[in-house]
Amino acid sequence: MSAEPVLEIADLVVEYDGTTALRGVSLAVGAGEVLALLGPSGSGKSTLLHAVAGFLEPRSGTIRLSGTTVTGDGRPVPPERRELAVVFQNYALWPHLSALDTVAYPLRRRGARRAQARTEALAIMQRLRVDHLAARRPAELSGGEQQRVGLARALARRPSVYLFDEPTAHLDTHVRAAFLEELVARQRDSGAAAVYATHDAEEALGLADRVALLREGRLLQVGTPQEVYDEPVDLFAARLTGPASVIDGGRLLVRPGWARLGGPLEAELRAVWFRGPHSDYLVDSPRGEVLIRESGPPRHTVGARVHWTLAHRWPLPGSPSDSSSP
Amino acid sequence: MTTESAGEPASGSLGRRPSTSLALTAVLVLALSACGGNSSGSESDGGQSQALTLYTCVNDTTVQPVIAAFEKAESGSRVELFRAPTGELNARVAADARSGGLRADVVWGCDPLTMQAFVDQGLVGGWTPPGADAVPDEFRTDDYVGAHVLYMVAVHRTDAPAPRVWSDLAGPGYAALAVPDPSVAASALGTLGYFAQDPGYGVDYYRSLKANGAVQVSTPDDVTTGVAQGIYDAGITTASSAYAAKDDGSPVEVVWPEPGAIAIYGPIALATHSADSEVAKAFISFVVSKEGQTVLGGAGSYPTLPGVDGPTVPAGAPVVSPDWAAIGADKAAVLAEYQQVFGG
Amino acid sequence: MPARGTPTVVRAGVPVAVALLLAVLVALPLLRLVQVLWQESDGDLAGILGSPGLSTAVRHTVVLAVAVTVTAVPIGITLALVLRRPDLPGRAFWRVAVLLPVVVPDFVLGYSWTQAYARAGFTDTLLGLHWDGLLGPVGVWLVLVVNAAPLAYLVVAVGLAARSEPDLERAARASGAGSFTVLFTITLRLLLPAVAAASVLVFVLTLGTFAIPQVLGAPAGFGTVTTRIYADLSIGGDPASFLEAVTLALLLVLVAVVCVAPGDALLGPHLRSARPADAQGTQTVPGRQAVRRGQAVGLGGYLLLTMVVPLAALALSSVTRALGVPPTPGNWTLDHFRQVLTVRTVEALGRSVGLAVAAASLLVLLGGLVAVGERRRAGRATATLITLTLVLPGSTLAVALLITYGRWLSGTLTLILLAYLAKLWAFAHRPIAGALDRLPPDELRAARASGAGLLTAVRTVALRPLAPALLGAWLICFVTALHEVTMSSLLYGPGSETLAVVVLNSQELGRIGPTAALSVVLTLLVAAPAFVLWMVVGRLRVAHDGPHAEVARVG
Repeated sequence: MSAEPVLEIADLVVEYDGTTALRGVSLAVGAGEVLALLGPSGSGKSTLLHAVAGFLEPRSGTIRLSGTTVTGDGRPVPPERRELAVVFQNYALWPHLSALDTVAYPLRRRGARRAQARTEALAIMQRLRVDHLAARRPAELSGGEQQRVGLARALARRPSVYLFDEPTAHLDTHVRAAFLEELVARQRDSGAAAVYATHDAEEALGLADRVALLREGRLLQVGTPQEVYDEPVDLFAARLTGPASVIDGGRLLVRPGWARLGGPLEAELRAVWFRGPHSDYLVDSPRGEVLIRESGPPRHTVGARVHWTLAHRWPLPGSPSDSSSP
Repeated sequence: MTTESAGEPASGSLGRRPSTSLALTAVLVLALSACGGNSSGSESDGGQSQALTLYTCVNDTTVQPVIAAFEKAESGSRVELFRAPTGELNARVAADARSGGLRADVVWGCDPLTMQAFVDQGLVGGWTPPGADAVPDEFRTDDYVGAHVLYMVAVHRTDAPAPRVWSDLAGPGYAALAVPDPSVAASALGTLGYFAQDPGYGVDYYRSLKANGAVQVSTPDDVTTGVAQGIYDAGITTASSAYAAKDDGSPVEVVWPEPGAIAIYGPIALATHSADSEVAKAFISFVVSKEGQTVLGGAGSYPTLPGVDGPTVPAGAPVVSPDWAAIGADKAAVLAEYQQVFGG
Repeated sequence: MPARGTPTVVRAGVPVAVALLLAVLVALPLLRLVQVLWQESDGDLAGILGSPGLSTAVRHTVVLAVAVTVTAVPIGITLALVLRRPDLPGRAFWRVAVLLPVVVPDFVLGYSWTQAYARAGFTDTLLGLHWDGLLGPVGVWLVLVVNAAPLAYLVVAVGLAARSEPDLERAARASGAGSFTVLFTITLRLLLPAVAAASVLVFVLTLGTFAIPQVLGAPAGFGTVTTRIYADLSIGGDPASFLEAVTLALLLVLVAVVCVAPGDALLGPHLRSARPADAQGTQTVPGRQAVRRGQAVGLGGYLLLTMVVPLAALALSSVTRALGVPPTPGNWTLDHFRQVLTVRTVEALGRSVGLAVAAASLLVLLGGLVAVGERRRAGRATATLITLTLVLPGSTLAVALLITYGRWLSGTLTLILLAYLAKLWAFAHRPIAGALDRLPPDELRAARASGAGLLTAVRTVALRPLAPALLGAWLICFVTALHEVTMSSLLYGPGSETLAVVVLNSQELGRIGPTAALSVVLTLLVAAPAFVLWMVVGRLRVAHDGPHAEVARVG
């Protein structure tokens, strides 16, 4: 992380109608860094983004952008004067504007003349390979196209922080991969910070420099993808960040890659799934059920007696009796 | 017609998916026509029927007691009343005339000009009751007879001077005056017609009123309201509305200026297609009889029959009548001249 | 284009029904008027159209309609946008209060202004201030604006409620647009269908308005086409006057066609687009509390000047013995109420309420039918057509219906109901269409695919988001039908007297005291259910897209 964080959040509390949506969240994101906000629905991801964007007023806490307090110190700075851009889950493209005018919109707001804004917007759209859609309106675009236009609009803003609010939630799998690639590439080029809200662990781990885990308005854990995957603070965090087996009465976490078939331990194969490059085996051993991932097609059939080895494990810090969590 | 057209799609052309909304519409329309349909006018067409339909612009307060007295005097007879302000009444008559004929047996109007137009269209007229002779000549023709009179008088605020003659209204003491619009109210047109024909006044009279702060409002009732409210100091209006305001307690006085209050009579006439209707004839006869006129006078309208008591008339109050035939002939020219003073 | 329509939802039945109703309510009556004109004028329209002062009246009418529209609609939009903010102090109160002018009949509103601000009026008595311009074009304009602004507000507000998509505004804010820029580049553009609907309604309504120009315009010699029609019908009773009235009415229809049809044709297809499935929420970005307070103060001032003072003057005259006496307790009386509340009026009131309920309910249904149909090309012509009967002055429309159906229906409640349906169809249609046009067809399709019949699908899926628009439309129609004077007094017969007929017949309009008392009764009568309705709408809207939905979505 760089010395000077671009975005700093301290003790943020947000309430709606007496319901507390965020209960004291503190975070910092540096220039060029991507922070993923990972949490289930209702955990407060969007609320956090909305607070940063200035779409809502927190009850307490401060938000600083590039060293300037935008929330928490006197009158909050309105969204348009915060140097950030938002990419929305629903794309939020304006139905009355063409794609080109949509991308030109932030440029126009910075004072660019119409023609110049359009030229620049077209250049941005070319980089995202959506310039052929320039004349179309949102209703004439597919979801993936709409989100690319949404990304282009965000890029046109040239912000110091990007806020991505589950931008791929409504996209097809194959579109999603291409979009994410694009997004990461552009964001890295720009050197801006990014906060990326998602409920998809794979997406978060593959994309982010650091991952912040949210549960019921609280930060559970913040760390590199490796850290939150390998060393989750509790069972909830473990389950949130990927497939997890818990053995020995809930005390030991085993990720699918941490166990192998063959070895001293005995178990019965309960289920097997072919996943293309690899296969997942669910084995039932005296220490508990374990998911094992091996490359290649399935080598055993359900019901077979198999042997397995535990190559790596992580003792969960949480209470051993907490295994009843989701 | 309506029931036919609304019912059709509900039963037929919608095919597999009859629209419930349509059916609903049809049911509602049917229900409503069922509850209202039996009262439409056909029963009053025949000459033998004891019911008659009356179209009038006379106020309920006057016409209801007269109808009640008639129904009592002629047992078994029944009057079905349609009452509306002049504009709506004329529209209804015009619509009737274009959709199967006038649906009234008797029309009791508020001014002779309109009634003459109905006569000219062949809708009413051709008969007056035998007792009509008792009504002064200026209140009747061969086709209709005056049943009540409106007197156009001056109304003024108690803190403004009382006009002795009409021309006083053009004199000092008034900051704002109101006159009714002769292109909206027949009573105002009669008044204009009277002044236009009087060599001492002419349309110039209105010019001098305007120079003295007069504005034109719509109807005589609007004049009374405005003067009572205090927007205007004085104005030309009907005696009945002016006295009503005074009786309510508004700070106004009523004057019958020289050379006289202008009499606008409300004629009653028999529909030409009801020439055989005895009950319709009986009603007209009753309205202009001494008995009917007494009821009418007691109900707050001025009777046409001499010697019958009506509402307030100051002792020796002068009354004049416009020449309606001349007004009918000159209407456009006089209105045009007038409108050069007061605009459209 | 077909992918975005609702072809799978709307079967042939709806267009057939709409075409039929169009014929019955609009086309036949208008054609009969044209036919009468054609047959009786012998083609000599030039004589009528060349009559002196007519061009002035037409100019007055059009200028007035434009002036009222460009003032009342922005006021309505402003009210809708300000009242949308949940953090506005006293919001529930304001939302009801701004609708007050709707429940006061327009002829009473005009009178109440003179009572409040003219010479010897309320302010003149208290402060020595009066405004002479009230009785003239400016006064006509101002009172018409006050009268029309709540209608514009209602139409825009229901549009806003049905299509609020805060993310679109948030996206603009996050793109660097300030709140004013967002208002003009995004919010108003999204509201365009509702704003267009409001503009058309206000414009056409003003074209056909009569009572206020009559009361306030006449003293300044300010005549409009409608006051001329009134004059033509009132004087003479001869065929020439009647023909002139018919010609003028058809001229109004023509003006309406010229002004409205291009708008409907151009705007219609331009504005449609699919709404994201989960758009909801009302608050975009928090504002400053001081601004809210300022807005509340502004609202209060507006209502005080436009409604409270005139209505207080009206209420006082309803209990004051006579015009022109000071409205002090010594002069108070309930006589006017006794005159108004007789057995006959109560009977007629029941009939009027029944008629108004039937008319409003059928109209909402009809409005919904056309709004659904309007998603197709032919539907836009329908929208224009039903606006034509709105522009016809009540007297002329009643005459048209009487000429067309009088043989069978003269004097029946059915004919009065038909008149209300014809007159107010556009009132119901435009707000509903403004709200419906972005209801995603997928939602209805999903319901159909889940086993719901067409009606069940509409009821379960479309009704909830449309509820504010439907209730708003219902309310406008109900109130307007309840107050209606001209058509029912021209069309009634034995046993179908409406309240307006009974009261008009015994009093005429000149007697202000009873008329004021009647208005107070009507206002209370309408305001109470209206208040309840509005609360229900508010509750519905909160349940539909309020803070709880917001919490569920965020996160």
